[in-house]
Amino acid sequence: MNKTINQKAWFFVIPVFVLVAFNAAIPLMTVVNYSFQETFGNNVFAWEGTRWFKQILLSERFHAALGRQIAFTFIILLIQIPLGIGIALTMPKKGWGVPVCLILMSMPLLIPWNVVGAMWNIFALPDIGFLGHSLNGLGFDYNFTQQPGDAWFTTILMDVWHWTSLVVLLSYAGLNSIQPAYYQAAEIDGASRWATFRYIELPKMKKVLTLAILLRFMDSFMIYTEPFVLTGGGPGNTTAFLSIDLVKMALGQFDLGPAAAMSLIYFFIVLLVCWVFYNLMMKNEAQS
Amino acid sequence: MFSKLSAATWGEVGKAKEKGFFDFDLFSWMAWTWQTAAFFIFIALCITVMLIWEKKVPGGSPRKGVLGLDTTRGDRLFVSLLGSAFIHLAWLGLIGSFLWIASIICVAYFIVVFKYV
Repeated sequence: MNKTINQKAWFFVIPVFVLVAFNAAIPLMTVVNYSFQETFGNNVFAWEGTRWFKQILLSERFHAALGRQIAFTFIILLIQIPLGIGIALTMPKKGWGVPVCLILMSMPLLIPWNVVGAMWNIFALPDIGFLGHSLNGLGFDYNFTQQPGDAWFTTILMDVWHWTSLVVLLSYAGLNSIQPAYYQAAEIDGASRWATFRYIELPKMKKVLTLAILLRFMDSFMIYTEPFVLTGGGPGNTTAFLSIDLVKMALGQFDLGPAAAMSLIYFFIVLLVCWVFYNLMMKNEAQS
Repeated sequence: MFSKLSAATWGEVGKAKEKGFFDFDLFSWMAWTWQTAAFFIFIALCITVMLIWEKKVPGGSPRKGVLGLDTTRGDRLFVSLLGSAFIHLAWLGLIGSFLWIASIICVAYFIVVFKYV
């Protein structure tokens, strides 16, 4: 059979191409341009070379923000992944419980990020918030607007509340795709609950878990709205993660050059981690 | 042509500028300089070379490299470019001056990546 060659389909790609150009390529190019120059606004720029990159790489402030960011991401992954798997394991496999659980689980995911921040802000207020007031009533000296430890505790709790469901849903999907034959074989062999989990469920969930870790890593590494609304990066700078610090520098101080350099360094870190995860995922794919 | 795009030195800041060829409002906010333009032209050239290479030798020559990863030509370009960014950043952070030495290291890195990764 003769196939007619028709390349007109390429024209359908043009809208996407234009969209990507305007929302990704052109802004990114502009950031690169800004990162090498100084400006006081009004479209007047002066060449500064690599000065901003050097400044950011050696700045205590950037190191501190990066450290906080890595710590935050690490902590929430450490909590959310095991917790998510645990919840997925206890969820019912059939019956009326399934839709109830799924809807309950997806609710936090449906709430807009700034609403989550505002909710938790009010919820945790030490004088009128339910959480803050109760904790103080129980004798804890809790005030997330003044004590760094409390601010961290609240931010992490908020993120766990908001995003553990994602890990749960992914793990649940992974668990449900396991053939019953595996469980039957395990039962015949007299495998313990732990052995079933360790040698059947966990390996079968490897793919979705890699995906869950990647998604949670990226989202938490670029987190902005929720901590911005909850703590505004405070008290002091103690919860100023990378994005919050970046916006402070770019819009608060109008240091566009250093902010551009910082966002490029940030971008490279994200790109590197994505590449590592992508390769891990492809390796999983190849094995299975 | 590009020199009129932005104030090239501190001496020109605040002075009235001659309007250049590309100096319309739609474009001038991007603050182009010839250095950054050259960088993006280099990237575009890299992609064009990859395109021509793919036309000549289709398939992307996949292989398992020293890192144990299945890579194609495109992967190797990506690893080279991203690695070069980190080499330059590391040089700026640790040593600071003579950045062109980092660029030479990057050329060597490019060759190693394309040969072995």
